[in-house]
Amino acid sequence: MAISPNTIALPTPLSWTGPHVKPTTDERALDNFLKSVERRALRMAELATGMREEALDLVQDAMFGFVRHYADKPASDWTPLFYRVLDSRLNDWHRRRTVRSRWLAVFTRSADDDDEGDEIAQAPDLNDPGPLLRLSGTEAARDLDAALRALPLRQRQAFLLRVWEGLDVADTARAMGCSEGSVKTHLSRALASLRRALEDHA
Amino acid sequence: MNTPQTPRDGGWLEQSKRLLDDSAEHLDAATLSRLNRARQAALGRGRRRVREWLPVGALATCSMLVALVMVQGRWHGHAGGTPELPLDAHAAAAGDVDLVSSEDSLEFYQDLEFYAWLEAQQQDQDLGS
Repeated sequence: MAISPNTIALPTPLSWTGPHVKPTTDERALDNFLKSVERRALRMAELATGMREEALDLVQDAMFGFVRHYADKPASDWTPLFYRVLDSRLNDWHRRRTVRSRWLAVFTRSADDDDEGDEIAQAPDLNDPGPLLRLSGTEAARDLDAALRALPLRQRQAFLLRVWEGLDVADTARAMGCSEGSVKTHLSRALASLRRALEDHA
Repeated sequence: MNTPQTPRDGGWLEQSKRLLDDSAEHLDAATLSRLNRARQAALGRGRRRVREWLPVGALATCSMLVALVMVQGRWHGHAGGTPELPLDAHAAAAGDVDLVSSEDSLEFYQDLEFYAWLEAQQQDQDLGS
């Protein structure tokens, strides 16, 4: 029988591609998930620390922690769980920093006093169009950054997770490791403080 | 969005979200590269962890099986009034471990009665001839 070259399946030449491990479907989903949250996570960490390098380290730690502890959880739970890990890293960072700089507390005004301020004085004027709308893009971004950095950690996280990330109250509470009532309180105070701070800047 | 806000908060909150989105969108290349490396490192560590723990898990399972068989053998020994596990019990225990750990020989053990019968037949034939 004559064998036509077309009927022979020639083996493709093998080439060494190194110790590459083909990602599984789960791993690809995990990769996509981390890709979807990493930038916002970095900005949150940056707002908390004020330093990009520290923020990058914290996000990397959060990714490690998330993959280690929660990668096998249902994908629908990943967002609050990832932010739970990040929130925990931010809290740890904040605690360490507080201990280190305690001796400086006399000279700096603590931004972590949630109970300060007169809530009636902070109540918004309903006829005002809002603070950021009166500023140009760059100024607004800079002022928003400053106002967010001035917020206490819990208030800032409540604002960012709830307003920016769009988590509902239950997931925000899960991410922050607190009750839903605390989330509402933190958010309410964050909104009042932001409005006031941005008014001052405008 | 279901945040506790006044009707006019919508405008500046929406703008805040846009500004934050912009800041996350326009990160510099070096930062994006660091994030990418961090992500790959986290995924790689997860992968390595699974690979590292698999043999440990297998070893632990085997050890547990051996321990179970030994304990069972010893317990049976005590129940029968003998303080020490007899040698043939040790051999039986080792056989059980062999049986559990070796999938290939499972058929042999299942056909053991047949082989015994075959041997008996051959002995009968030898005696008859």
